[in-house]
Amino acid sequence: MSRLDEILSLVKHVPPFPKVAQRVSEMLNDPEVSAAALAEVIQYDQVITANVLKICNAAYFGLSRKVSSLDEALVIVGNDTLKDIIITSSSARFYKGAAGEGYKLDQGELWKHSIAVGIMAKELVKYVKDVESGSAYTAGLLHDIGKRFLSSFVADDFKKIMMKVVQDNCSFVEAEKELLGASHAELGGMIMSQWDFPKEIELAVLQHHDPDALEKDPLTAIVALANALVISMGIGVGADGLSVKMQGGGLKRFGITSMHLELCMANLLMELDRAQELFHI
Amino acid sequence: MKIIVGISDMKVSNKPDDVLITYSLGSCIGVVIWDPVAKVGGMLHYMLPDSSLDKDKAEAKPFMFADTGIPRLFKETYKFGALKNRLIVKVVGGSQIMDSAGIFNIGKRNQAVVRKMFWKNQIMLAKEDVGGTGNRTVSLEIGTGVTHLKVSGRGEFEL
Repeated sequence: MSRLDEILSLVKHVPPFPKVAQRVSEMLNDPEVSAAALAEVIQYDQVITANVLKICNAAYFGLSRKVSSLDEALVIVGNDTLKDIIITSSSARFYKGAAGEGYKLDQGELWKHSIAVGIMAKELVKYVKDVESGSAYTAGLLHDIGKRFLSSFVADDFKKIMMKVVQDNCSFVEAEKELLGASHAELGGMIMSQWDFPKEIELAVLQHHDPDALEKDPLTAIVALANALVISMGIGVGADGLSVKMQGGGLKRFGITSMHLELCMANLLMELDRAQELFHI
Repeated sequence: MKIIVGISDMKVSNKPDDVLITYSLGSCIGVVIWDPVAKVGGMLHYMLPDSSLDKDKAEAKPFMFADTGIPRLFKETYKFGALKNRLIVKVVGGSQIMDSAGIFNIGKRNQAVVRKMFWKNQIMLAKEDVGGTGNRTVSLEIGTGVTHLKVSGRGEFEL
């Protein structure tokens, strides 16, 4: 069995994404949906139920009072926020423990990076038309899901990958692809497709390291840009460091300047202070 | 004791057992200063070059920006008896992602602003390790002034 076959068979056995998340997402497309009906579905997943309460009470979602039951939480939280909360708590389980070890990321760093990119992607929706904030957050949160599953393979070949990055001046993903046969972005795309996420989210995950990502679909551009900024800030950056290729010229179409990028970085830093609780769910 | 300096944060100490450390400087810059006589040291981790970007944020988080953070770092060590002309000053960080268009040049601009400020204030740089695509973790032992730098792809060494 070749390395690539091993990696691909691993994808086939990736645990499913919580059904509750998709079910709730569908239900929320109907603005008339009742809190009781939502609670009915959510309460079957104990982890998500516990997390909904925890996250509702996190400063980041800024509720005016503490909630103590699921029914109460669902009455208070708006549909968009509820979507974000469900996707956050459904994703957290995949990033637990030593999820980014092969990339020399400490425990919890990959999760923190993912949340930061999710929040940054939402921040960038201000500048990019035709992207829905929930999709931006979801794609940002899951853009590195491939790292979670490629981590052990990267660990095995770590020295070779780093050597290639240093000697050939290539990006870490290029070296991954060259030495392992697949990059974490490609793997992430496959996983998103297996989990039945919408095509645009799958593409954003798949292409987030393409150098010309900023010229592609707006959602792809947002996720690639959010990731580049969070990496620049040094949040959840492993051995791959800043060796990421990105053609910045693609920002012109959105009218985004260096100043806007700096403002987004400053805003994110403030937001992260408020999002502390999310790092520990 | 290990004292962690976060992003847009600054710490100063004169306790010989303390170690100041800041993790994962990407395009941000770490400024490390130490007075060998007063045995006092300080570390700043700033993220952006210029506070005129957002005055309110600079008010709330002065260590986010070079122009509001650097003077405060120096002044804080003076309180513990440091003298400007004795301070050993080191600068690390300011990496950037690989973008030929130069839009993502925050790292370079962060470097430029600290050089300019030091030039104006006649501060000599003892050591610097800036640029490239590595991310850096830097630490300062208050008792000895020993500075360790870890750069992804280059390992750990004394600076």
